Amino acid sequence: MFLINCPYCGERDQQEFKAGGEAHIERPKQPTELSDDEWAEYLFMRKNIKGIQFERWNHAHGCRKWFNMVRDTSNDEIKLIYKMGEKPPSD
Amino acid sequence: MLNYNSIINEEINHNGLSIREISPIMKLNLRGKKREFFTTVGKDLNMILPTKANTSAANDKLISIWLSPDEWMIISNEKVQKDTNKYELQELLYNNISKTNLGAVTDISDQFVQLELEGKNIFELFASGSPFNFNEFKEKKGTTTQTLLNHIDVIIYHKDQDLVNLFVRRSFSEHLWSWINDSASRL
Repeated sequence: MFLINCPYCGERDQQEFKAGGEAHIERPKQPTELSDDEWAEYLFMRKNIKGIQFERWNHAHGCRKWFNMVRDTSNDEIKLIYKMGEKPPSD
Repeated sequence: MLNYNSIINEEINHNGLSIREISPIMKLNLRGKKREFFTTVGKDLNMILPTKANTSAANDKLISIWLSPDEWMIISNEKVQKDTNKYELQELLYNNISKTNLGAVTDISDQFVQLELEGKNIFELFASGSPFNFNEFKEKKGTTTQTLLNHIDVIIYHKDQDLVNLFVRRSFSEHLWSWINDSASRL
């Protein structure tokens, strides 16, 4: 159990949120030109690292807004939370 | 409010805490982001929509509850007629907002069941089934929150001291009602 600071509602319990997978995956501009392998890479393959990961989260039982989170998967430490559409930090 | 059978007819009284359903109440859901949306709604409701998270605004007729940065719930202070589900305000807002594409107006009068909880230990009841921290919430009148109560989505509105309104989706209301009944008896 941990607390997540929703950028709209403030600090709430993790129970109210749903994880939405890896963030900042860009849809290929010309999907028809991709090979099946490249398409599968875009569609299915996700990082699942031990360490710092960029994720999307949804405040499902609150304001129902999506936002981005930088989280250390080894200890659930939340490094940064920023709104959808904002650029990820470079370092 | 037309065809529905309320499951909640009686009133719960346990340990100085009383819970009853308030019905029928007009409830509208408003969504919009544009500046014109805010000015039109302000004129129609005679009230400025609250933009600060977890707050509400009220006048003698209506209460508007913040749900999300672009979503509000408007409820009537007084009970409305039981044999109709047409509201002047809804029509006015629908014509001025939905039809002009400024935002969306949805009638949710029948979607939500409104419960009124009264008593000193309301927040002890909430604490037994909600992950939300009510410490700041209970100090301030007019605060609102959307959270979970016994794993059910609820909207909670702090109306007055020791007086709270709770909104729950109709299909979950019977379940929540029996949980409240049980939980309140153990406070």
